[in-house]
Amino acid sequence: MPGRLSDPGADTIVPISLESRQPVVLSLRHGVSAPVFRVYISWSRGSLLHVACLRPPSLEPDGAGDDEEEGGKVVEVRLGTGDGGISEAQMRRIAYGSVPPFVELQSWKNSLASLSMMSSSSFRTEKWQYILEYSRKVNELLKTHQIPPDNVIEDPRIIVKLLKETSSLRAAWELMEIFFIDKQSLSWLPERLVDWLEEYDSLVTRTDLTVYSKLVAMQKKLVDFKVIEDNPDYWEAVSSALAVGWLDTVAKLLRLHGSYQLDQLDDRETENGLVEAVAVLILTMPRLCPDLSSEKIGQCYDTKPDFIKAWEKWRGQVSKLERSAYWVQCSHHQTREGLQKLLKILLGNISNLTSATCHWMELLISHLLYTRPFIMGLEGLNNLAQKCQQLKPTAEYNGLMSLLMGILQESPEAVLAECSRTYGPWMVAHGTELLAAGSDYADIQLHEERYNLGSISIEELHWLVYAQVLSSHPLTWQIASTYLAQCPKQGLGLLEFLLYKQPLQHHQGIFKNLDLSRSYDLDNISASIMKIAGMHHWKHGRKGFGIYWLQLARDEVRLNRIAQQLFEFIGRSLSDDSFQQWEGLIELLGTRVGSSGGLEFLHKYRDLKRLLKQVEDGRAVNAARLAAESLVQLMKSPSTPQQFWLPLLYDSVSLLNWKAQPLLRVSETNLLLNKLQDLSMAKMCPGFVDSNLPSHALSSVRLALAKNLGRAILEEC
Amino acid sequence: MAEYGDILHRLPQSKSVDAVRWLSSVSAFDRFVASAVHDPDAAVPAAASAIEIHSLILAPSADSSSREHPCFHLRSSWPSSSRISALRSSPTPYKHLAVAASTLSGSLHVLFVDPVDGSIESELSIPNDRSLHAGVVSAIDLLEGGRECVTVGEDGRVNLASIGESRMDYRRVYDSRGLASYTAVRWASPVEFATGGLGFGVQWWDPRKPGGFVSQFTSNWAQGKTTGIVHSIDIHPSRKHICMVGGSAGTVFAWDLRYPQQPILLSGAGGPELLSDIDEVWQVQYDSHTLSSSVNSATSAKLLPVMMCSEEGILAVLEQGEEPKRLLQEYCAINSFDIDPQNPSDVVCALEWEAVGILMRPKAGNYASSFGRLPPSFH
Repeated sequence: MPGRLSDPGADTIVPISLESRQPVVLSLRHGVSAPVFRVYISWSRGSLLHVACLRPPSLEPDGAGDDEEEGGKVVEVRLGTGDGGISEAQMRRIAYGSVPPFVELQSWKNSLASLSMMSSSSFRTEKWQYILEYSRKVNELLKTHQIPPDNVIEDPRIIVKLLKETSSLRAAWELMEIFFIDKQSLSWLPERLVDWLEEYDSLVTRTDLTVYSKLVAMQKKLVDFKVIEDNPDYWEAVSSALAVGWLDTVAKLLRLHGSYQLDQLDDRETENGLVEAVAVLILTMPRLCPDLSSEKIGQCYDTKPDFIKAWEKWRGQVSKLERSAYWVQCSHHQTREGLQKLLKILLGNISNLTSATCHWMELLISHLLYTRPFIMGLEGLNNLAQKCQQLKPTAEYNGLMSLLMGILQESPEAVLAECSRTYGPWMVAHGTELLAAGSDYADIQLHEERYNLGSISIEELHWLVYAQVLSSHPLTWQIASTYLAQCPKQGLGLLEFLLYKQPLQHHQGIFKNLDLSRSYDLDNISASIMKIAGMHHWKHGRKGFGIYWLQLARDEVRLNRIAQQLFEFIGRSLSDDSFQQWEGLIELLGTRVGSSGGLEFLHKYRDLKRLLKQVEDGRAVNAARLAAESLVQLMKSPSTPQQFWLPLLYDSVSLLNWKAQPLLRVSETNLLLNKLQDLSMAKMCPGFVDSNLPSHALSSVRLALAKNLGRAILEEC
Repeated sequence: MAEYGDILHRLPQSKSVDAVRWLSSVSAFDRFVASAVHDPDAAVPAAASAIEIHSLILAPSADSSSREHPCFHLRSSWPSSSRISALRSSPTPYKHLAVAASTLSGSLHVLFVDPVDGSIESELSIPNDRSLHAGVVSAIDLLEGGRECVTVGEDGRVNLASIGESRMDYRRVYDSRGLASYTAVRWASPVEFATGGLGFGVQWWDPRKPGGFVSQFTSNWAQGKTTGIVHSIDIHPSRKHICMVGGSAGTVFAWDLRYPQQPILLSGAGGPELLSDIDEVWQVQYDSHTLSSSVNSATSAKLLPVMMCSEEGILAVLEQGEEPKRLLQEYCAINSFDIDPQNPSDVVCALEWEAVGILMRPKAGNYASSFGRLPPSFH
């Protein structure tokens, strides 16, 4: 992450809330008896804190540990995750699920950038399609899985669905989608907001009353009501539901009215008629919505002129009913009052709307429905919202509502700040796409490189932050690479760092790491990973694995160094019987992939041993000839360690004494004799490794060489 | 993304799923799946890893589509002291299902699962005191019938554990003292098995013969073009002389003991290009559901179709001389999979993103099940 913002003054982009919160005091039970000498605190992954408490070092040098006192302890402290009811596992699921839409959108953007057709009009429409698709996919992901209803038969008394788990995250995402992405269909904005509130009304406030909570309370009491229309609560509930436009709830409630009962005692004809008339008016309310086939109550229109015409006509019908003479004849006082109130709401009477709603957001929706159905543009909406806020002030801070205000004020800074404050890094990293699509101003704000952020853009900053969050968990670190790879400035550097610090104990982990580093062409990182893995295995006694990785990393230096250690080990154990143990390792060294450094010798040595075995078995001259050739080559090769010279020659005495003919020529024999000479010189040097061969080995080799030389000279004459 | 009319159902687990196996059950309605899970967020490290036995239930779908969707019901769970490195299962003669699991810290566990209700009845263990393996047990295989389990490790040891009703003993078959490491193992017959390791090396073992392996497949067959590690071996009971091998660099090849110098490449190393050359093939398994176009008798020379899963999220069926058939292309790695021996059209797989996938392939018009895996004693 780039350095922190230097000065929380006027030029900060994201306002940091400096309001002091009460510090949280946690008491730790570390179980280390006093005095505690030192305390070390360090962050572990995620929100895990490691606290080490140490006692002073013991005064007695020998420990005198009879008091069984521990020297100290490390305690893990898990700090609470306080975000809106979404568990960590659920958040991880969202994180995984948002990778494919994110990747698809970015790769489309990148392919566009390379085609440089940013200005054409076809690009614009295509862009909307892509961003809308992205938004829909993410929205789908945020859905909490709903359990299918237990009872198939609908209970008429269930007027509102109890929402078990409505994610505030999804509500916020939908708000951004409505305002930033569906901007094309701004004329449907009021209807979309009505739908939005219907789903998320329980989230607009945590402490205050809402229409939703009123209805829930009312539903509980419903069983106790004998004559429902006598109860003022009932009428309040109907008018509240009507005010926010939940027409199906209104219809359900009205159906509970006594006038729909079959066993009516009194003469209630006028009352019945009035209830029915109001119900019909409500059910035929004109609505502007794109999808005519939707199961919405009311008359749907998809073009504005049709809608305006129908709306005027409908208003006429409502006011006609309001002025009707039948009201005088209605004997049931509560029904009359209640129905008239409903009509007033339909006619957009401000005092009725205000009293029927609880929260300012609800008031705003009621205004959109009944007083300003033709509203256009955000500016008007913003003014209206501010008026509603004045009428229904709320003391409580609500992230969702602040986000909405930010959107209405057309302030990308505020939207970003609210996203970050309430919903965290995931929301900011993914929501910036919507925000940038919302307006050119926001687009520029997000993508402009900023000097005070270390020349990165705000978008990149938030991707980096999100990637940090992902990389702090052992299960999500690999998807952090997806986001880092999209960051043009600092992404790759951080990715290298991330890959570099992953644990490499198990080969699955190593492969995962290598796979990532190769797919981003970080060859130096993959080489280092292989070197680290190689040394780790080597140190833990897994020699084969160690050599395998170092070979792949083409690390000649280390291979040569460990070769020395390996040769010492072999010098002791490489008898003919134990050769099979080495077989696997030597096979590995024979592969031509990577380098094997000095270890190549082992492969040739094995081949010679094989040939010598065939010679001993008394098989063909060919084998002996080949063996002699390979012996000379081995002795010539600079990679053959000195300590193997004598053993090699001693092993080959039978070759030197080959009965049928001398196998080595004069020059070759001279070479071997020279080597023998070098060896006796080297004996004087410090650091000479003596092979543990029988004492007569040297003399028997010398004798054999001399014999061979003699025979070769005769042969060549 | 599923093709060929197959449907993948993802069952989120909220923890890492390292391996999955079907458990054959007695009832046609209950099907059990064993999964090795790991949760790094667990409050205590001892509760981080576990083997879970789930029953798979087909529930009517919540939305309007008429398809059924599978869901998991956790039947039992067994906590493991260390992360599971390999998982195998087999029915046993004692009416139980045996589930064998090895860990990263070197222990071996066998759980006996009740085939009716999926509960864990008893457990046998060889602890991680470095006697069995020093460090990671990289692979195990359970003999059909659950009497014997072979284990191999990065430390270069090969062990045979004999599983009784109440005790488990083991004997060392071989110890390379770290000079070679083994990363895959598979029984070929009740007395022979094959192991795989570094540099695409494959070894054939017969523990009745003294010393080490009986034969070895030379590892430089690729002429220096590529090298890698064997991750998985499968051997079909009717063709026990052929080892199907999957490993690094997107490589799948068959090693025929009768022609040991000439591997048959199905993918990678210059062969057919299904996978990128940086992909890892984590597992291979013969697919008895895919009916090979020409294989209709066990004597045919053609290789049987084989399914593989990879780090880059590919689940595919490979067939000699045919276009590879890609079943899945996920955004995340597929760590392991298992084809249901009783319903070979259904595949369970462990997805890297903390989920189990159930792939249901259309059954219609397929009569391949009769060609399925038979117990080795049959041949």
